[in-house]
Amino acid sequence: MELALDSVLDLSGLIQQLQSENGAMRLFLLLFPFFILVELPLILVVLLGVLRWKLRELTLPPKHSLYRPRVSCVITCYSEGLDVQRTLLSLCEQTYPGEIELIPVVDGAAVNQRTLEAVRAFHLDPELYPRRRLRPIAKWKRGGRVSSLNAGLSMSSGRIIMALDGDTSFDNTMVSAVVRHFEDPNVPAVAGCLRVRNTWTSFATTIQAIEYLLSIQMAKIGLSEWNVVNNVSGAFGAFRRSILEQIGGWDTHSAEDLDLTLRIKSYFGRHRRMRIPFEPRAIGHTDAPSTILGLLQQRLRWDGDLLFLYARKHSGSISPELMGWPNFIMTVVGGLFVQVILPFIIVGYTAVSMIVLPWPTLVALAVLVYTLYFLVLLLQFLLMLLLVSERPGQDVRLLPVLPLFPLAMFLIRCWSAVAILNELLRRGHEESGMAPWWVLKSATRF
Amino acid sequence: MQSLKVPRIVWVSLSPAQPTGPKAAAAAYEPIGSLSALLQGPRADVVVLDGSSELLTPALLQLRRHPDYGLSLIFFSGSADRLAEALADGPLPAESSAVIAAWRHWQERLGLFNRGRLPDRFDHSLLCWLWLRPAGLIQPVCDPSNSNFYHYPLVEALAGEGSINVNSWLQQKRQENLLEAGDLLDRLRHCTACDSNRLNYVDVCPECHGLDIVRQPSLHCFVCGHVAPQQDFLRGDGLICPNCLSHMRHIGSDYDRPLENYRCRSCNAFFEDAEVDVCCIECGQRQSPDELRVREIRPFRLSETGQLSCRQGLGEDSVASQYFRQLKLMAQPGFLAALDWQIAITRRYGKPRGTSVCSVLGMRFDNFKLVLNELGEPGTIAMLDSLMERLQQVIRETDRCMRGREDVLWILLPETPAAGLDILQERLLTGLESIESSGGQKLQLRIVGCGLPDQLEKNEDAPLLLARLMGELF
Repeated sequence: MELALDSVLDLSGLIQQLQSENGAMRLFLLLFPFFILVELPLILVVLLGVLRWKLRELTLPPKHSLYRPRVSCVITCYSEGLDVQRTLLSLCEQTYPGEIELIPVVDGAAVNQRTLEAVRAFHLDPELYPRRRLRPIAKWKRGGRVSSLNAGLSMSSGRIIMALDGDTSFDNTMVSAVVRHFEDPNVPAVAGCLRVRNTWTSFATTIQAIEYLLSIQMAKIGLSEWNVVNNVSGAFGAFRRSILEQIGGWDTHSAEDLDLTLRIKSYFGRHRRMRIPFEPRAIGHTDAPSTILGLLQQRLRWDGDLLFLYARKHSGSISPELMGWPNFIMTVVGGLFVQVILPFIIVGYTAVSMIVLPWPTLVALAVLVYTLYFLVLLLQFLLMLLLVSERPGQDVRLLPVLPLFPLAMFLIRCWSAVAILNELLRRGHEESGMAPWWVLKSATRF
Repeated sequence: MQSLKVPRIVWVSLSPAQPTGPKAAAAAYEPIGSLSALLQGPRADVVVLDGSSELLTPALLQLRRHPDYGLSLIFFSGSADRLAEALADGPLPAESSAVIAAWRHWQERLGLFNRGRLPDRFDHSLLCWLWLRPAGLIQPVCDPSNSNFYHYPLVEALAGEGSINVNSWLQQKRQENLLEAGDLLDRLRHCTACDSNRLNYVDVCPECHGLDIVRQPSLHCFVCGHVAPQQDFLRGDGLICPNCLSHMRHIGSDYDRPLENYRCRSCNAFFEDAEVDVCCIECGQRQSPDELRVREIRPFRLSETGQLSCRQGLGEDSVASQYFRQLKLMAQPGFLAALDWQIAITRRYGKPRGTSVCSVLGMRFDNFKLVLNELGEPGTIAMLDSLMERLQQVIRETDRCMRGREDVLWILLPETPAAGLDILQERLLTGLESIESSGGQKLQLRIVGCGLPDQLEKNEDAPLLLARLMGELF
C-alpha cells in the first residue's frame, strides 16, 4: 500500500499506474477510499430509494381520503416585511378542503414594525377563502425563533402543526400532500421540500438552488424510503400536535429543527413502526442568502450547530437502542462522519497534497477528483430531472452552472471545517442570531 | 330698578343620600334638599342642579315641563349626558357673579319678548326660550330606543302633555322663517311607504333581484392565458389548466386571480357588481337606496326674522298682520278656489284677445324689515296707515285679497282688464311715493300683475299661476 501510494505521488507513477492491468480500478480504490466507503453507499441508498419511490408513485392508484384535520400554520416572522404577505397568500390559496389556521408570529414586533404592518394589512377575504382563519400574534419582546414557535403552538387549535418561515411561500397542494401522511398514526412528523425562490439573483443563490434540489428534494426522497430522513427542516416542517405536546415543544438553542427531529427519532427504537416521511410534492419556496458572505454566515451557523447537537446536546441519545439501527447508522455516518469529520479530512488531505505533491501531480489529481465528482453529480442531476423534479423545464436551466457546482461544494466543505472549529473552540452556537443573547445565556449549557 | 334686584338662586341636591351643597360662593346660593321641595316652594329665579347624570336628566325634564321653570336658567354642577346638555343652560359658571349677570340679561330679554307679553302658547314658549338665550339651540339627541333615532328633548318637554309632531312643527317654523337650521349632524333614510328607518340593505342579483348570490373567483393561467371560473381548474388536490393541462402550483408565478364576479344561484346571471336593495323591516317594502326619503338631522336656532318677530310681536299681533287685517283677506284655500273659478270662467267665456275679464295682482314690501328696523314701530305704523288707506281706495267691494308667504299680498280683481291693472299699479306706486317718511327710508313695493286669460300659460291653474308670479316678485 505504501509503495503503491508512493508511486502515485509523482505524475509519471500516476500514469504508469493507469497503464498497468486493472490500474484504473486500483488507482481509484487507492485515491478515493472515503468516497467508496462512505459517500458511494450514501448515494446508492438515496438513488435506490428514489427509484423505489418512483415505482410506487407510478403504480399505486391515487388515494382519496376524507381525513381533513384542522391544520395550524405557525409562521415565524422577523424582518421579512412585505414577503410575509406572499407566504400568507400562498397558504390561503391551498387546495386543501379542510380548515387552515394561519398564525403569523411576529417576533420583536415593537421593532419590526414593517413586518407587523404587513401582517396587519393582509386581508383574508372570508368569502374567497372560507376555510382559512388568520390569527396573528404580535410578540412585542424579541425571544427568538423557538419562543415564536412555542407561542404559536400554545395559541393554535389544529391537530397538525406546521412550522413555517415568514420568507417561504408554498405550492397550493402543500397542505393536502402533507396531511395525507398523518392519516397513518405512526407518523409524528412530515418533512417538506424546500426550493430556492431567488435562484437567479446571484451566483450564490444559483449554486444553492442546485444544492437544495439534490440534497433536499432528491436526497430526502431516497432517505425517506428507508425511514432515515436526517432532518425536518425548520423553514418547513409538519408535526402531529400530540407528539409536540408530549416532547414539550421546541427547545431553546439554535438548530431547534434538528434538535426536534433527533428527539422524535429517540422514540424510533421503542416504536419500530414510527416513521418520518418526506413529501416531495409539498413544496416551499424560500429565499436563500444572496451574497457569498451571507451564505458563509449561514453555514457557519448551520454546520457549527451540527457539532453542537450531535456531539454535545444529543451525544447521549445517538444510540441504536433509542433510534433504531438504521437511524443510528445514518446519523453516525451521514451526520457525524460526513458532515462533521469529513470536512477536516478534506481540508487535511488538500493541505498535505499541496505541501507534499509537485504541482503537475496536484493538478492531475484535482482534475481526476473533479471529474469523478462531476460525473456523479451529473448522474444525480439527470436522475433528479427525470424522476423527481416537478418543474423539469425550470430546473434544466441550471445545467450550464453544474460544472461549477463541485468547486463551490468543495469550498463550502472547507468552510464547514471552520464552522466546526468555531463551535468546538468558541461555542459558536451561543452567539446565534436566531435568539437574543439574554435567552441563549440562560439556556442549559451542554 | 329691576337690575338692582338680587335673583334667588337655588342649589338643588338631587341625591338626598349624599347632599353635597354649594361649595363655592355658598352665600349666593340657597340650598334645597330635593326637587319636590323646590317645586312646592316659591318660584326661584335660577336653579342649580347637583347630582349624577342619571338623576340630572329626569330632573331637567320635570323642570322644563313645569310652567314656572320651562324658560328659567338651569345650570348643573356635575357631569351631564347629551340629553341633559340639550335641556340645561350648561355647567354652573365658576363665579356666582356670572350667574347673576346671566340672569339679568335673561330678565332684560324677557321684558323685550313679544312687546312685553309673556308666552302663553307652546310655540311662543319655545321661541321665547331661544330668544332668552342668544346662543340657544334646539339640539337633537340620538336615542337608539327612539323609533326615529333622533329627538328634540327641549321641544318635547316644552310641548308638555299636548303632544305635537315635533319634526313637522320644526319644519313649519323653518318655513315660516322663524327658525333656521344649524350644521348638519346626521342624515337618516326612511322608507317611502311607512317612513320607518329600520331598513335592511342587501346585495342582490341585478337581473332577478334574488338574494342568493355568490362570489365566483376566476383564475388566469400564465402558460396559455386561459381565464375561467376556479372550479374548472380543480382536479383532485391540485389546479390544472383545462386548456393547456399545465399544473398551476403557485399563485403569482403560475396563475393569478384577475377577476371576481358574482353569480346568481336563482337565475344563473353572471355579473360584476351586485345591486343593493333596501328592504323595510316594518312594512316589507323593497326599494332602491336612491328612492329612500332622506331626513337631515340639524339643530335649530332663532333666525333673524324670528328674532325680529320676537322683538316686534309674534303672529297675529305683529304690526304687519294688524294692518293687513283691514283688507278683505281670505284664507289660502278659499282664495285659490276663487282664482281657479275665475280662471275657468275666463277660459270658457273669455272675450276676444285684448279684453281680459279678470286680473291678479301680487305685491310685496321689498324692504319692510329694513324700514321697521330703521324707523321703529311708530314710524312704520304711520307709513302702513297711509299705505292701507291707498289700498282700501283702490280695492273694490268685489275684489278679494290673500296673504301669501311673509310680506306678500295677492289681490284678485274680477272684471278688470289688463289695462285697468296697469292703471291700478300706477296708482299704487304714486300713492306710495306720496307717503311721508320721517327718516328718509321709504317703503318699496314690488308689484306683479297678470291679466286673465291672455297672460295665462297653457294648463296653468291657480297654484301654478301664483308660483310663477311669486318668482317674478323675488
